[in-house]
Amino acid sequence: MYDQTGLPPVLEVEGLCVGADLPEGMKPILQDVSFSLRPREILSVIGESGAGKTVLARTLASWLADPLKVTGGSAKFRGTDLIKDPAAARKLAGREIAYVGGNPAGALDPTMTVGAQLVEKLRAVRPEIPAAEAKQKAIELLDAVRIPSAAQRFHEYPFQYSGGMMQRAMIVDALISDPALLIADNITQPLDVTVAAQILKLMRDLTGRFDTAVLFICSSLPVACDASDEVLVLNKGRVVERQVPERLISAPQHTYTAQLIRELPKLWDGTEAAPAEERGEPRPIMSVRGVAKHYTAKNRAQGGTNVVQAVRNVEFDVFQGDNFGLVGESGCGKSSLMRLLTGLERPDAGTILFEGEDIGSARPARIRELRRKFQLVLQDPYGSLPPQKSIGAILEEPLKIHRIGDRRERRERARSVMSEVGLSETLYEELPNGLSAGQRQRLNVARAMTLEPRLLIMDETLSALDQTEQHKMLDLFERLQAQHGFTYIFISHDLAMVRRVCSRIAVMYLGETVEVAPNDRLFFDPGHPYSRALLSAAPTLEERRYRPEDCLLEGEPPSPIDLPPGCAFASRCPQAFDRCRSENPGLTARGGRALAACFLNPRRGEETAQTTPETTHA
Amino acid sequence: MFILRFLLRRLAQGALIIFLVSALIFTLLRVVPGDPVRLMAGGMAPEALIEEIATDMGLRDPIPVQFTRYMSGVVQGDLGQSFVRPANGAAVGGASFDDSTRSARAEVWDLIADTAPKTIQLACLAMVFALMIAIPIGVWGGLHPGGWPDRIALYTSSVFVSLPNFWLGIILALLLSVKLKLLPAIGYGGFAWTILPALVLAIEIAPFIIRSLTVSVAQIMGQNFIEIAGVRGLSRSQIIFRHGAKNAAVPLLNLLGVQFSMLLGGVLVVEFIFDYPGLGLLTINAVMQRDFPLIQGIAIVTAAAFVLINIVVDLLSTLIDPRLEY
Ligand SMILES: Nc1ncnc2c1ncn2[C@@H]1O[C@H](COP(=O)(O)OP(=O)(O)OP(=O)(O)O)[C@@H](O)[C@H]1O
Ligand code: SF4
Ligand SMILES: [Mg+2]
Repeated sequence: MYDQTGLPPVLEVEGLCVGADLPEGMKPILQDVSFSLRPREILSVIGESGAGKTVLARTLASWLADPLKVTGGSAKFRGTDLIKDPAAARKLAGREIAYVGGNPAGALDPTMTVGAQLVEKLRAVRPEIPAAEAKQKAIELLDAVRIPSAAQRFHEYPFQYSGGMMQRAMIVDALISDPALLIADNITQPLDVTVAAQILKLMRDLTGRFDTAVLFICSSLPVACDASDEVLVLNKGRVVERQVPERLISAPQHTYTAQLIRELPKLWDGTEAAPAEERGEPRPIMSVRGVAKHYTAKNRAQGGTNVVQAVRNVEFDVFQGDNFGLVGESGCGKSSLMRLLTGLERPDAGTILFEGEDIGSARPARIRELRRKFQLVLQDPYGSLPPQKSIGAILEEPLKIHRIGDRRERRERARSVMSEVGLSETLYEELPNGLSAGQRQRLNVARAMTLEPRLLIMDETLSALDQTEQHKMLDLFERLQAQHGFTYIFISHDLAMVRRVCSRIAVMYLGETVEVAPNDRLFFDPGHPYSRALLSAAPTLEERRYRPEDCLLEGEPPSPIDLPPGCAFASRCPQAFDRCRSENPGLTARGGRALAACFLNPRRGEETAQTTPETTHA
Repeated sequence: MFILRFLLRRLAQGALIIFLVSALIFTLLRVVPGDPVRLMAGGMAPEALIEEIATDMGLRDPIPVQFTRYMSGVVQGDLGQSFVRPANGAAVGGASFDDSTRSARAEVWDLIADTAPKTIQLACLAMVFALMIAIPIGVWGGLHPGGWPDRIALYTSSVFVSLPNFWLGIILALLLSVKLKLLPAIGYGGFAWTILPALVLAIEIAPFIIRSLTVSVAQIMGQNFIEIAGVRGLSRSQIIFRHGAKNAAVPLLNLLGVQFSMLLGGVLVVEFIFDYPGLGLLTINAVMQRDFPLIQGIAIVTAAAFVLINIVVDLLSTLIDPRLEY
């Protein structure tokens, strides 16, 4: 494994130190980092947020900006020291040393076609290549990264690419100059699991084909182990170990690695029982039936308007005191559904009963009253807090809006929720901008709690936190639930999190609930091919129950604009047959309180269906 | 195909705008005080004669009737004849009420066609000067937001904004043509006569361009694709001139479209100061002489120019940035 190619290393980093030159002195960020990398080798770098992974990547790509400075060591690329000779390093950047970042949105000029920019880049670093040849190469590579009809897509603009396609285009951009070293900083982070899995597979194929060495920076251990030949663990700016993935997992050397592995959530671990269903009263607190919502969007190409079917055929029940999970990829309508559930928007069809009352048709004043009982905790820990208000004022605001209590009572309530979520009371007068991401999320939860709601809807609440912090928050949620009898709806794309906390889970695809099942059933016996695809692509160290080769299909979800008739998944489903293309299966009971919308499930009449499934839809 | 539909839609909108402008100007001219016939006939003309001429000219008909008559001419390309100007040149004064050569009065269209090229020349030169001043200062400021080039841009534009154009015109005329005898100032005898008024106009509009440029350049240079371009291997000049400039061009183009209306206002004053025989001077004289057909004609022509320029600006913007919808 170590000397698999027998070639001399392309990159040798020795004792690299980087510091931030701040007014209060030099703050070390990377300390004594050493490693080497051979052609065709994929080396993962993992570490918690702030460990210095991005700083390492940028140092190697000659992209350090003030106040960051290299304070010692060397980084030799084929013998050239990138640190001592910055001019030579800049010449290598983009040509021999390519960089792909985690944010493909806005990475290319919006006013030029993707193809033109690929050609521009190639000719900038290799002027000897004629334009026609560059174009041909770009199309070949776009094809290699499975951009559908690459020759046509070559002429499209960045805004016409989806996030996943854009990330693939950026990989082409990096590889087009035949670099010897590819630095990939968190490239799968913004992608959905199924798309991320495709991209990882692709990267492996390509490095084999082009002899590229890859420095694969990543914050998820399973992804890192999946993708690479060896894993380098970075902790607080130091390399603490380097091992092949199997050994790293079976015999971690450093306590940080060991803790990371221990805390890693598992998908198919039978030892820990999945959260049981109906821990509270077996009475639904929220029932959703046949809910649909469409938006009209302007069609820029042909004029006129398009109907975007954001949500359709959504059906599920959430039981009192329970944890309900809602999973699906980006764009599947999770957030639109959340807006319907909270009464921010009204559905076009169907009913949403909250404790027996239809939110969809209630008067606005009534919705405002009801909203006290169901609160929303939002995704973005940085966007959702007003920066000029003190933490105390933020917490008291909902009480003020609902005219609850006098000043002293409100203050008391704010202090008590602060201590409940684990925020020190001394923070009462502070502004929220001094808080860390985890503390901000706690504040968000506290704010939602002040009104003593019954149902908390968490929209990707934990996705911005790292694994350790997520753990603490989940413990907190559990404690609060035990104390207050909250019901939670977790909207998330993180299967491992949902597996750990939710007793009942709905899977959404293209606006539909394609499967609603108890936790164990979904993970061990999914009733829908899409659920299987999701499970096969989920990052995990465990042995997979579903192999990506069997379940994962190429391509991305079709746009919700021109929905084909029949099953929405038919265009990507490995098992699709004729009937799927003409008829929509609709949610059907498959026994054991599980429902799925797929014709492959034998229709069983033994259990009274929880819903009245529609067999066709508009 | 899209372009065709876009053009059709915008031209229809433009026609509506022009129609409304004409209706407004037409009505206003007839309700504000000042009888053109009195001015044409002169102070000494008897009241009965004035009434007779006015009725003869249709000026006593109800306004909608007059307007319909006028517009039916306009759609056939006939802007009418000036009340006061003879076809052969200089404006006629008041004493000629009994002039029998009324048919020899100048066509409005000819009057505009004679003067408009001079004004277009002035406007274009002013725009060129303005861009020559604004682009270096604005782009430089935008490349160093918060730095001293940014401050220079701010100070220059503040100074330019606070200079009144008539004052600036007089100072420049005194300095460049009276003192240094570098440029002719008054009247028109060739291209050289355009330079000084164009300079005054340029200084008037430059600050707006500078400010828009510093803001848009700074905003674009902070974007992800610019930051990443260096890592992708593009050179600094490629980044600035091919990507930065192209993206900054869209807001600039839109601004230029809007600036055109300012330029029109500026032209009035500047042409008056320098006695420059363009559309602006023609307008001022027409207003002072209550020359209704001429005022109306100028309004229609400038409104049309405004509409066309904005269509061109929008078309160019969509060519540069395909995200903009038609
Ligand atoms: N421009 C900068 N100025 C000062 N400190 C910085 C700067 N950039 C990064 N740092 C510090 O360097 C450390 C490492 O940051 P880095 O971005 O490399 O973390 P990371 O490992 O990439 O984290 P993540 O997983 O969140 O991407 C952090 O403590 C960060 O605060
Ligand atoms: S109904 Fe057909 S296409 Fe849809 S998921 Fe089932 S097998 Fe696949
Ligand atoms: Mg990072």
